[in-house]
Amino acid sequence: MATAIGAPAADLEAGRRKSEPCAACHGREGNATIPGTPSLAGQPAFFTHWQLIKYRDGRRKDAQMSPFAQSLTDADMADLAAYYEAQRPRPRPNAATADPAKVAAGRQLADLHHCTSCHRPGLTGQQQAARLAGQDHDYLLRLLRGFKARTASDLDGTMTMAAQPLREEDIESLVHFMATLGAEP
Amino acid sequence: MRPILPIALAVTLALALVAPATAQAPPTWKQGQPAEMADSTLAPIAQPPAPKAPGEIPVDKIKVPRGFKVSLWAHGINNARVMTWGDKGTLFVSSRVAGNVYAVVDKGGQREVKTIAKGLNLPNGVAFKDGTLYVAEVSRITKMVGIEDKLDDPPAMEVVYDILPRDLPHGWKYLAFGPDGKLYFNIGAPCNICVPPDTHANISRVNPDGTGFEYVAHGVRNSVGFDWHPASKALYFTTHGRDWLGDDLPSDRFDVVSKKGQHFGFPFCHQGDVLDPEFGKGRSCREFVRPLIKTGPHVAGNGVEFYTGSMFPAEYKNRAFLAQRGSWNRTKKSGFRVMMVTLQRGGAPKYEVFAEGWLQGEEIWGRPVYTRQMKDGSLLISDDYAGAIYRVSYQP
Repeated sequence: MATAIGAPAADLEAGRRKSEPCAACHGREGNATIPGTPSLAGQPAFFTHWQLIKYRDGRRKDAQMSPFAQSLTDADMADLAAYYEAQRPRPRPNAATADPAKVAAGRQLADLHHCTSCHRPGLTGQQQAARLAGQDHDYLLRLLRGFKARTASDLDGTMTMAAQPLREEDIESLVHFMATLGAEP
Repeated sequence: MRPILPIALAVTLALALVAPATAQAPPTWKQGQPAEMADSTLAPIAQPPAPKAPGEIPVDKIKVPRGFKVSLWAHGINNARVMTWGDKGTLFVSSRVAGNVYAVVDKGGQREVKTIAKGLNLPNGVAFKDGTLYVAEVSRITKMVGIEDKLDDPPAMEVVYDILPRDLPHGWKYLAFGPDGKLYFNIGAPCNICVPPDTHANISRVNPDGTGFEYVAHGVRNSVGFDWHPASKALYFTTHGRDWLGDDLPSDRFDVVSKKGQHFGFPFCHQGDVLDPEFGKGRSCREFVRPLIKTGPHVAGNGVEFYTGSMFPAEYKNRAFLAQRGSWNRTKKSGFRVMMVTLQRGGAPKYEVFAEGWLQGEEIWGRPVYTRQMKDGSLLISDDYAGAIYRVSYQP
């Protein structure tokens, strides 16, 4: 990946301050606990920033996030994205409910469907590609079903295309795998 | 042996049963990657989510020929791509993944940027005629009538033509009015390398009222930049070549259409003289039009513009500026510059650097993507990576 010279200097402390209203849903330091709400800790800054831009311009829609994003400036977004990238992700408590057979099937499917090409080995994310390891089960399920249905917001179509061959059982297996990834002690 | 074999057999059978149903092509950028390159770390350069602040844009690093000067003309334009002038002096600027169309208004030496459309589907193409702005997204062309008088309250986007393919890979379009008054645009190959459907890998045109669709050139992998020669009125275009054939193959190309319906080789023959290792079997490069210039491997030639102004020295008249956004599928980066082409009667065209410096060593700080001449003859260059527009002027 290219290194940028003179990328905008985001302000981590400002990001921490600006993240206070987000904590109600996304948790302390971006580690959410509400099922269906994604954790932001450890997400690549490009990813978080792009999602906020998409909420603001209406390409991505959510009852809570859409109005919230309207009030954000570009600098707010850069600060928030940098702050969350710098936080340590704590795995969600998905492991307890995960089906080991689905986790194993999901691991194979992740290879077959080239998930690591963009999301990196270990599905830790990079640049505009989200961190998936240890993310909330319900959230991942909703997103992946959305990509399959062509209703989830996509930056350039890559995810919508990737999701087309997935059957519902594939989606469930992939999500069981992703949600528990990195959760082993 | 006895217990192992059945298990191995069962696994093989299970895979054989499962694999066809679930295996799929990798993401488009990785498609066509040969097995021996599977460990390559090359991947497209991510588009930054926000434009750079003026202080973070090192304009002084851009090198131009003696007598020319570069300044930062506008900034804060996320993912700035194609530029087109309105009748009343508004510069309309497109974007790709940012999904926006902007209007840049000159206010006493200060440029004001307004977002006039947002949330669009890779709206790379913008063209202006008779008071109307035309916008090309992936599968449709729309128009905004009388936009220049309503920049703060933009009119609705009326559909001109909306039955174009919906494929997102190479689905974004360049859009321009030809000398015949028709709207020209590309329909790219929906892949890195494949035999595309007959409807793809071409340059097409349609009347501004949406009638009379027809193909102009075939076998064009993805052309996101073209212009017509000021004298001959012939259509010249750049094309991005396929990826994963190595650092030095194939070259991108600069071509001229001499007859409607010509085939430029994709996916069978690349750069006019290299058969595709897979799709070139049984074909010959002699079947296809050869490039006017091999512009270099992976340089990603976008903008094409013939110079018609009078600010630059006389020899610049009718030269073509080619903006090259730069490589990702090459271990040593190439492109990230603006080239110029001097066509020679009866001889090979001259092809030389006009502006460079966005690439420093192997690090980039910007990506020149399109040019647009100003009324005074100076040249604007858009940079989608920095979200900025530069102005190149000349003073002897």
